[in-house]
This record gives sequence, structure tokens and C-alpha cells, in this order.
Amino acid sequence: MNWFIKRIGQGLFTIFAVASLTFVLIRTMPGSPAQQLAADIRQNQPSLSARQINVMVEQRIGVDPDQPMHEAYMNYMLNLAQGNLGESVNYQEPVADIILRSLPWTAFVMSVSLLFVFIFGIGLGAIMAYREGSKFDVGSSIIAIFLSSVPYYVAAVVMIYVLALELSLFPLSGRYPRGVEPGFTLEFFTGALHHAVLPAASFIVTTWGGFALGMRGNSIQVLGNDYIRVAKLRGLSDRRIALRYVGRNAILPMWTSFLITVGFMFGASIILEEIFTYRGIGYYMFDSIENRDYPVMMGTFLVITVSVVIAVLVADITYGKLDPRVESGGGDESY
Amino acid sequence: MSTHETSQTASTEVPDVADPILEIRDAEVYFDMDRGVSRVLDNVSVDIERGEVLGIVGESGSGKSMLASALLDAVVDPGILSGQITYHPGDGSSVDVLGLEKEQLRQLRWEDISMVFQGAMSSFNPTMKVGGHFEETLEAHDYDVDAGMERARELLSDLYLEPERVLDSFPHELSGGMQQRALIALSVVLEPNVLVMDEPTAALDLLMQRSILSLLEDLKEKYDLTLIFITHDLPLIAELADRLAVMYAFELIEIGTSDEILGDAAHPYTRSLLNATPNLDAPLSEMQAIEGSAPDPVNVPSGCSYHPRCPLADEECVSEDPEFRPTFTENHQAACFHWQDSAEVIPFNIERSDTSEVDDE
Repeated sequence: MNWFIKRIGQGLFTIFAVASLTFVLIRTMPGSPAQQLAADIRQNQPSLSARQINVMVEQRIGVDPDQPMHEAYMNYMLNLAQGNLGESVNYQEPVADIILRSLPWTAFVMSVSLLFVFIFGIGLGAIMAYREGSKFDVGSSIIAIFLSSVPYYVAAVVMIYVLALELSLFPLSGRYPRGVEPGFTLEFFTGALHHAVLPAASFIVTTWGGFALGMRGNSIQVLGNDYIRVAKLRGLSDRRIALRYVGRNAILPMWTSFLITVGFMFGASIILEEIFTYRGIGYYMFDSIENRDYPVMMGTFLVITVSVVIAVLVADITYGKLDPRVESGGGDESY
Repeated sequence: MSTHETSQTASTEVPDVADPILEIRDAEVYFDMDRGVSRVLDNVSVDIERGEVLGIVGESGSGKSMLASALLDAVVDPGILSGQITYHPGDGSSVDVLGLEKEQLRQLRWEDISMVFQGAMSSFNPTMKVGGHFEETLEAHDYDVDAGMERARELLSDLYLEPERVLDSFPHELSGGMQQRALIALSVVLEPNVLVMDEPTAALDLLMQRSILSLLEDLKEKYDLTLIFITHDLPLIAELADRLAVMYAFELIEIGTSDEILGDAAHPYTRSLLNATPNLDAPLSEMQAIEGSAPDPVNVPSGCSYHPRCPLADEECVSEDPEFRPTFTENHQAACFHWQDSAEVIPFNIERSDTSEVDDE
């Protein structure tokens, strides 16, 4: 229990440290919301004087961009501690609202992707291991290596071109069909699923290979163990050996990397959602970077940080339950 | 390839036993490898008597473990096992082990002939409690689980373990000796008639080896087991075994009672092996290593496979493979043309009378 509290404390500290670092990094980026806005206005209304533009900028943003960084940092952190993520410069609404609106969509695409990555990766990897050296094994290994070398955004572009533009099987962008009211209706649900296929597929196609190869290696190693041979001689059914002996022991080492993939997927969602104009958390993050929208940038970044920290925390806590050899109480996480 | 292919397969003369529980005839295991055929068990024929303890001794890589696996028709892929293994359950019937259907073989293993592997530490599923191994084994063979678990508890306490604690532990929570004893209990939980033990004490310290051996003796008496004990540690098994069979280069080269082997070993290899065995009673300087090295299974020397290392070897040994022949007694047999001379050429470096006395107990 003591370990549990310590572990959560470490997680909170990580979030604090990343938030501070992010804050400094974002503020030291060239350009500021004020400059961005001033440039915009100047472009749209070249007749205005610099003085007039400055007044307009101050009215629009409502915050003082010239505040010294340490003061801004203190303000931000105090607000953050109270759960206030600030207000978007660009959308004039609380950042929390933007996150609440977009996060479920990203989480949706990610869950679908993770589910399929896990099923494909683990399933195919296990079959490859059982048929080690066969044509199926060699063929799948080559495909797996090839696909895991393809960046997910390249896969996304190829899929858009082939499946959306040429074959028109899937929508090009968006989260759900135009004209459908969001709600608990079948039409909305299938529509949302249809729109999520391509973004999810870009993940699945480029990620399953790594899991399959990992599972294959683990399974082959487990299959070579004496206890598999003893289990066979004891007359256990092949099914039981495959699930309880090979499966269980081969999946264990993948559990941690599986949860870390969650963090990777949040990061990848930035580019992917931009490609598919899929208004999830990544889309808003990209958008905020373009518009120098500090509060949204900070907020979305924090969401990614928190989710990675939670994923690793879950991995740490559950691992001890899954593998009896690792006790949750043990101080070192040496796996 | 050597000329070994021509070795005779007709040599089925083996020492008689009164009531054989297992008859092994011309058991042969080979692997097809890129550089040739690897024959890792070569025409081994032996009878195993009901209720005896047969020790099978040989150096590393002499085919001992292959013989053990062959008894359960469990040679690892892609090894090919041929020959004849007949099992006599004791009710007058006989079972052709190598001719069994898959399901019958599954039942024979563990229910009739069971096995303890070397390295108990790796014989349990690390993510399953020890008790789970007992339960799933009973279930897989349609035994009454409650009665079986009761028997498991009794077995574990016979082996001086606390049954509840052990059954409720994960393998890594037990010491090596405890795991080994739990594995022995697991191997006899279905009440087999024959227990094959493949170096069951190899990974344990000397004290634990001794204590497991004495436990085995009790277990054998209590459950009417026939034990086949495979080891490279000749002095260790000599105390437990009724008979000893010595293997060299994938063949049996000598068989006899423990006393006969220890006292009057007929085969030059057995004598040299005994001289090479460390012994507390003998000064280290008296230990004599056997010159040369064990043959490669792909390329076994022609004739007697021991001839390149044997001080008695002559042309006959090079050209012909000696068959088993009776030596000092009818049932003490050795595969050597010159067994009469071996004692003279290779004298024992110590008297082994002490060990013999222990055997008589």
C-alpha cells in the first residue's frame, strides 16, 4: 500500500515536471498569440495603424502576453491546481470544454485500434510461433517487418488515396456523417464507426507487426521451455497448453509495452487527426500550435502526459497481479 | 557416414529377468541433420524387472536421456524412434508402446509410465500454483480430483513437505529441493507403475541429492514403483540401484547388478569410468581421466565404438562391433571382446568393498 502511494506520488510529480517543462518550451517558441493575432489583423486590414492593432489584440485575447514568464507560470500552475485550464485564445471558450468535446473521439479511435492491434498482433504472433519456419511464418514475418517500418502517416495518406479517393469506400474526413444528430442512435453509431475506420486502420496496419513479432519471439521462447514438454507428457489438452501455458507466459512481457503504446498513440493522433481532419484531441493540438493558442496547447499536451502516466501506472500495478513472480510491493520495476 | 550402418540388429540377447515390466528391443533414435544422420540411441535392448531400481549410467551425451524419453515414446522432434518397446502392466496383457494411438499413448504416459525431468525448476508453469498442476493433471486423465488431491497431499507429506503450503505456492516460492520433491509427487500422483527419472538430482546440492534418494527408496516401497534412474553420478545411484546399466556412445555396453558392476566391472570403459569418479576415500592423484573424448553421434567409430580410447583395443575391435556376452555370471553382460583382460590392464585405483556393503542393505 505504501508502494502504491509512492507510485502515485511519482506519477503526480511526473505530470508536474512535464507541465513545467512544456510551459517553458511553449513560451520560448518564436512568435506569441499577440504577434500572431497582430499579423492576422494587419493582413486583413492593412489600413489600421500599429496602435489600433495593439488595442484590438488586447481586447481579443483578454490576457496580457507581455507578462513575465515566471509570473505567467505561477498563475498558470495555481489555476491548474484548481482544475482551471484557462480559456482558448482562438475559440474564446474554456480549454476544458474543448478537451471534453474532443477527447472521447480520440479515445474511441484509440480503443478500436488497440483492440485490433492486440488481437491481430498476439493472435498472428502465436500462430507464427507454433508454425515456426513454415511458409506462413516466413511470409507473415516479412509482412510484419515491412508494415512496422511504414510510418503511420504514410499509411494514412495511402489509405486516403486508395480507399477514400479512388474507391470511395470510406469518408475522407470528419467524425460522423453530415446531417446526423449525435446521440444514442444506430445511425450515429455506425456513421461514427465508418468515419473511424481509416484513422484506426492507419494505426493498426503499422503497429500490429511489432506486436506479432514480439509475441512470436516470446512464444517460441516459451515453447522451448521444459514445462511445456512436461505439460504435454502429462496429457494436458493442446488447448490448455496453448492458452494457459504458452499464451499466458508469452503475453506477460508484452503487457507493459502494450500500455506504453497508449501513450505513443496519443502522440501519433496529432498528425493523424490532422490528416483526416478528425476533430479529436490531436487535431486541436495541431490547430493550437498553428494559432499559437497557448492555453489549448498546454491543455492538450497535459492530456497526453496524464494518459501516459496513467497507462504506465496501470501497467506497473497490474503487472504484479498478472505475473506472480513480480510482487507489486517490490521497490524496483525491473521488467 | 561411418560403416556403422552395418552393425547387427539381431543382437537381442539380453540378461534374463523373471518378470519384465518393460522390454526394450533395438531401440534406436536418430536425427537427420545437414551433416549426416545423428544416431543418438543405437540398438539398445534391455529388460526391466517389475519392482527393481535400474540405474542407467553414462557420461554427458551418451544417450541416457534419449533412452529415458524413448520409454515414453517422447523423443523430441524431429528425432525418429524405432525398435520395439513392450510394456507389461502386470495383468497378463502387454502393450506395444511405439504402436499406440495418440490417445492411448496420452493415457499410458503418466498413468502407467511417468517421468521426472532434470531441472525441476523449469518443469512447472511459472504463472500457475503448484496445486494447479496436480489438479489439471488429474482432470486431464479423468481421475477423481478430490481423491487425487488427497493422494497428492499424502505424497507431499511422504516427501517431507507441508502439503497445503506447497500446493498453494507458486513454483518460484519454493526452493530447488522442494520443487524437485513436488515434481516427484506430481509424477506419481496418477499412481504409475514405472517412474523414469532423468538426472533428477543434477541441479541439487549433495545433501539434497542424498535425502531425495532415500525418499525415493521409501516411495518405491510404498507405491510399488519400478524406478529407472538415469544419472552420470555412478556412486550416487549405486546405493539405490539393484542393477546398473552403463552407456557409452549411445549404446549399452555393460549391465549387471550394482555389486557386479562396482566390484568386477567387465568392460574397460566401466572400469575407467569408475577410476575417473571422484571419491572421498581416494586421493585426488589417483583419479584417472579417460583419454580422448566421447564420439560424435554423426560419426561413431566403426567396430567397438570405444576402441579409439581403449587400451585393450586390437584389430578385431576396429572391424567388428562386439555383442553383449555373459561375463562372470550369466546376467552380468558386457559388450567387449576382451573383458577377461580388462581387470588386469585397468586395475581399480581403490577397493570398493565399502560401497558394496551399503548396497546389500
